Amino acid sequence: MNFDCDIACVGFGPAMGGFLTTLAKGLDGLGSHAMPGMPPQVLCYERADDLSFGVSGVVTRGRAIRASLPDFAPSNVPMAAPVTGERVAYLLDPHGASHRPWPMRAADQILKIAATDHALELPWIPGFLHKQHGFVASLGQFNQWVAGELMMTGLIQLWPATPVEAPIIEDHRVAGVKLLGGPEVRAALTVIGDGPVGPVGRALDDHFGLPNSHARDEWAVGMKLVIDLPETCKLEPGTVLHTIGYPEPEIFGFFYVHPDRVASAGIFVPSWFRSPLATAYRYLQHFLLHPYIWKHVEGGRMRSWGAKSLNENGRRGEPHLTGNGYARIGEGSGSTNVLTGSGVDEAWLTGTLLAEAVLELLRAGKPFTKENLDATYVERRRESWLERELHVAERARDGFTHGVLTGFFGMGLAGFTGGRLAIPRRPLKAATPTEKNFDRWPDIPYDGQLLVTHQDALLMGGKVQAPSSAEDHVRFKDRAVCESCKSHRCVTMCSGQALHAGDDGLPRFDREKCVHCGACLWNCEPANIIFAAGHGGLHSAEN
Amino acid sequence: MEKILILLHAVDKAALEVLSLASGDFDVALIGEGPNTIGSCGAKRFFVVDGPEFATSRYSTDTAAAEALVKAAGATIVLAPCTPRWHRALPGVAERLNGAIDTHVSSFAEGSVSRWFYRQRMEGTLKRTQRPWFILVDSGAAAPWSGAPAEVAIEKVAVPSVETRTEVTGIERPPQDQQTIRPDAKLLFVAGAGWTKKQKDGQVHIEDAAKLITGFVAKAPCSLGSSKSLVDLSGEGQAVLPFLTHMHQVGQTGSTPRHPKGLSTCCHGEEPHAVGWRFIAERRAINLDAGCGWARGKADVLYVADAFEVMRELNALQSAK
Amino acid sequence: MEYQVVVCGGIAPDPLQTLEPITTPTGPGLKNEMMLPAVFDPWAAHALWESNQIVKANPGSKLWVVSLGPKAKLQQVMMTVAQKLPFEFIPLDGPGNGFTDSAETAKALAAAIEAIPGLDKSRLIVCGGWESATRGAGVTMQRIAERLGIREVFIGVDEVTVDNGALIIKERIEGGAHQVSRCAAPPAVLAWATGSTPEPPNHPQTGMANMRVMMPALQKAKPTPVGTGCEYVAVSLPKQQRETKIVKDKPAAEIARELAAWIQE
Repeated sequence: MNFDCDIACVGFGPAMGGFLTTLAKGLDGLGSHAMPGMPPQVLCYERADDLSFGVSGVVTRGRAIRASLPDFAPSNVPMAAPVTGERVAYLLDPHGASHRPWPMRAADQILKIAATDHALELPWIPGFLHKQHGFVASLGQFNQWVAGELMMTGLIQLWPATPVEAPIIEDHRVAGVKLLGGPEVRAALTVIGDGPVGPVGRALDDHFGLPNSHARDEWAVGMKLVIDLPETCKLEPGTVLHTIGYPEPEIFGFFYVHPDRVASAGIFVPSWFRSPLATAYRYLQHFLLHPYIWKHVEGGRMRSWGAKSLNENGRRGEPHLTGNGYARIGEGSGSTNVLTGSGVDEAWLTGTLLAEAVLELLRAGKPFTKENLDATYVERRRESWLERELHVAERARDGFTHGVLTGFFGMGLAGFTGGRLAIPRRPLKAATPTEKNFDRWPDIPYDGQLLVTHQDALLMGGKVQAPSSAEDHVRFKDRAVCESCKSHRCVTMCSGQALHAGDDGLPRFDREKCVHCGACLWNCEPANIIFAAGHGGLHSAEN
Repeated sequence: MEKILILLHAVDKAALEVLSLASGDFDVALIGEGPNTIGSCGAKRFFVVDGPEFATSRYSTDTAAAEALVKAAGATIVLAPCTPRWHRALPGVAERLNGAIDTHVSSFAEGSVSRWFYRQRMEGTLKRTQRPWFILVDSGAAAPWSGAPAEVAIEKVAVPSVETRTEVTGIERPPQDQQTIRPDAKLLFVAGAGWTKKQKDGQVHIEDAAKLITGFVAKAPCSLGSSKSLVDLSGEGQAVLPFLTHMHQVGQTGSTPRHPKGLSTCCHGEEPHAVGWRFIAERRAINLDAGCGWARGKADVLYVADAFEVMRELNALQSAK
Repeated sequence: MEYQVVVCGGIAPDPLQTLEPITTPTGPGLKNEMMLPAVFDPWAAHALWESNQIVKANPGSKLWVVSLGPKAKLQQVMMTVAQKLPFEFIPLDGPGNGFTDSAETAKALAAAIEAIPGLDKSRLIVCGGWESATRGAGVTMQRIAERLGIREVFIGVDEVTVDNGALIIKERIEGGAHQVSRCAAPPAVLAWATGSTPEPPNHPQTGMANMRVMMPALQKAKPTPVGTGCEYVAVSLPKQQRETKIVKDKPAAEIARELAAWIQE
C-alpha cells in the first residue's frame, strides 16, 4: 500500500545524521502537508539491518559535528576518544615483496639507516593532515548514538533493514522512493544520502547525468579491523597513526586507538592501483604484520571487520546536488576530501546545510524546486569551508596518474600551496600484467584470533549475514561479457569473497558473503555488473 | 539444616539420575505410584499424591500436587528432573511458595548449581539463600541410581481440590520414519542448507538430497537435525526438504541434544547453530568449504568433500551390512 | 471471542556476536553489552508471530507487547519489529541480560499487564517464549501466570486453534511428540516453542503507524531496576576449541568407510 510523507530520506550515515539532527531542531510549529494536523512526517530508510552497521576509520576534526552539537563530547559515544597524538610514518618494506619504483627502493636503502621498526616517522604532521582537537570514533557507534538522540525527539522515524530500490521519477521530478519489495513512499522532498555506491544516487546519475566534465572514476576500497590490543600495548587512547609505503606504495594505512585498549586498523586500496593482485584483505594482513604496527597488535584479537567503497573524485565527481523534489548529501554528493583523508565531518556538514535550507523553505512555504534548493542549499554549500577545502583537494591526487612518487609529491604540493599548484592529470595506463598470486610475500601465520582466513573475518569480525530468501542483488548483465573478460577483477577485489570463480571460471555470486561495499561495481571495466539494493551484510556494530 | 526433597512424577531414568544426587538426610515425594522400586534409596520419608486427576501432565493439577508435597515435607531444597512436565509446573510452585528455581542445571554440589546461559555459550555457577530452592536437573548430569526395590511406608498427601478448565485430550507422535531428535540415539545427523544449493553442475538436486538424507536416517538409528537456515527455507514455502521442520532445528531456537556423536553435512557451522552441539561429544563434518566454521575448532574432523558423494557411498555401505 | 493477547518478550544479542562474560558491580554482565546489536528474543518473536495470527483470526482482538530491557536497546529492536505487525508497546526500562532474576522480572511484567486499561482476564491470553535466549530458564511465564492468578499454563506450545470458544493447544513433550489439551476458556498463559508461522515481512506503513505511538511510550518508559536474585560464584566461557583435523583430497568412498567405522565404534 503506497503512502505519503513530507520528507523521505535514503540512507542513514553521518550526512543524514547531520541533516536530521538540524532538521529536528527546527520542526516545532511546522505542519505536515502529507498528514494535515500532524507535525511533518520525516521518514528515513536505511538498507543495513541496523543503524549501527556502518563502516569507516574514523578520525575527524569534527568541526561541523561540534557546531551542531555544542555539548558533544567523545565520552558520550562508546569507542570515541579525543585525539592525543598523531604521527605520519613512511613504512619500508622488510620483505622486498612490494612493487616499489626503483627510485623509491634506492631511497629506502638510505632511509633504513634512520628507520626504527622499518619505519620513519615524519618529524611533523603536515597541516592538511592534522586532526587538531579532533576525536577518533567508531562510525557504527557514532551513528547509533545519533540515531538514539533523534528517536528520542519523537520527530523522526528511522527504519533500518529497509533498502530503497529506486527513486520515483516522474516528469524529471523525484516524487519519492520505491522500497525494495515494498510500497512507494511519496514525498515533497526526497533526500538522498546513500553513500558513494547507493542505488538511488546512481539511478539519479543515470537519469539526470553528471554535470559537464564530472565523472565518478576514482575509487578506493577501505577495509578495516577492530582489534582488542594485547595487554602489553601501552598506546594511549586517541593515538592516530597514518602510514604510507606498505604493503604497496599505493596503499595508505591507518591505526587509531580507542579507549579500553581497542584499535581500528585499516588500509585503502585505490582504483589507480593497477595490480591484478588487488586483494584488500591479504594486504590488510600484511599491513598488520609490518613491524611498525605488529609491535602494537601481536597477541591481540579481532573484534570486528568491515569494508566499504570510497569515491575519491571529490568536487570533480559531484553530481547534480539538487533537482525538483530532491537533494543529495554526503559522500554520494562528492563531499569526501581525499587530501585530508576525511569524509565523516564533511558529510555531516552537507546534511546540516541542507537542513537549514529545507527549514528556510518550509517556513517560507516555498516548494522544493531545483531553483529554490539551489538558492538555499547549494548556495550555502558553495559558501562553506567544505567547498573551500574541496577546491584545495581537487587536483591533489592527480599526480598518482603518473606514478606513486609523483603522486606523493603532488599531494604535498597541493596541500602546501592550498591547491594552487598540482601535478596535472593524465590518462591511467592499462594494468601492467604482473604476477597473479602472493608468492613473493611471506605466508600469513594464522593464529585463529587476529590473523584469520578471510571467511573467518567475515563471520568472527563482520558477523556477515543475509536472509535466506531474497534475490541476488549483484547480477551480471550479459554472461558473454564475463566470458571474454581477461581479468575478472570483480572477483579479485570483492571484499567478502562473495564473488568467486565458479567451476566454469566465470564469476559467481554468494549473497550471504556480500558486505555491499560496491567494489565490484567500479572494478568491472565493461560495466557488466548490476549492483542493486539488497538486504543483509555486516552485522558488527563496532566498525 | 537444609531439608532436601527429591520430587518426582515418575520413576524413570531421569528420576533415577536425580535420586543419585541425594545425600545425607532426604525425603522422596512422588505423584503416582511406585516408590517401592526405589525403596532402598535411603530416603527418610516417602510422600505420595495419587488419584486419577493427578495422573495427567497439567499445570493446574501438577502445581497443586507438587505444592502439597513440598509443604508436607517441609522441604528447603527440592531436587527434580528437568522434564517437560516439571518444567511446566515447578516454576509456578516456586512463585507460590516465594521460593527460587533454577532449571537446566548441569551440576549441583556444595550448595551451588551450574547451568548454561546464552544458549550454551557460557556457564554460570550460583548460590542462593532464598528457600525453598527448586533445582531442576537436566538428564546426563549424574549416573542413575540403582538399587533393589524395597517395601516402604508411604505418607499420602491430600491435595485441596483443583478447579481447572484444561482437559488433556491426547498425544500426537510423529510418524516413525520422521523421527526427529531421538533421546536414545548415539548419533546426531545434521543436514544443512548446502544440500539445497546449486552443486558443481550448476543445478540443484533436491530429490537426490532428500533420498540421501532419509536413506541414511532410515538405516542408522540416529537423530535427524537441521540448521535454522534450512528450516527457514522450508517455512518460506520453497520446495526444499519438506520433512525438515522446526522440530529438527539444532541451535538457535532449536534444541541442544545430547548424543555421543554428531555428523554435520552441508552446514557451515556458524556459532548460533554450533551452540546446539554443546553436548555432542565427538563431531565430524562434511563440507566442500575448507574455511567453514567446523574447521575452526568446532569439529574433530572436517572432510572437505562433496556430501552427496560421501553419503551415497555411506548409504551403500550401510545397506550392504 | 475478542481476545486480549499480551506478548512478553525481552531482547537478546544479535546472532554471531561474540559474547564474553564480565563482572560488574551489579553482578555478571556481557562485555560491551550496550554496544552489542540486539534483536527481539527469538522465542518471544515466535510467540509474537503466532499471537498475531490469533488476533487476525479473531476480529476485534487486540495485541500488546510488554518488554523489559534498556530503553535504547528496546528502541533499536522496535525499529525492526514494529514494521511487521500492529501492536501496542509497553516498554519497561531496565537491565536486559541473562543474569537478571526471573522473579523480579515476572513481578515487573505482571504489574505492567495488570495496569493495562480495560484489561479483561476472561479474554486474556498471555504469550511469551518458553525460555529466553539469554537466561534460558523457562520460568518467567509461569511466575507471571501465578501473579495474575492464572492456572491454565502451557509450555512449549507449537499450535493453538480456537474451537467453539475453547483453545486447543499442542505442547512439545518428550520424543518429538505433542500433548494436546483443550482449555475451555481464557485466561491462559502460552509459552511458545517455535510454532509454524514464519517471520512476517516488513511493512513500512505498519511501522509508521506503530512508531507514532511507540515513540512517546519509549520516552516515558518506567525505570525498572531488576537484580540477580542470587550470588554468582563464576561465569565463564567453555574451554576452547578442538584441534580440527582437516581432511582434503580423500576419495568419497574412503571417507565413507572411515565414517562407517567411526559410527560403529
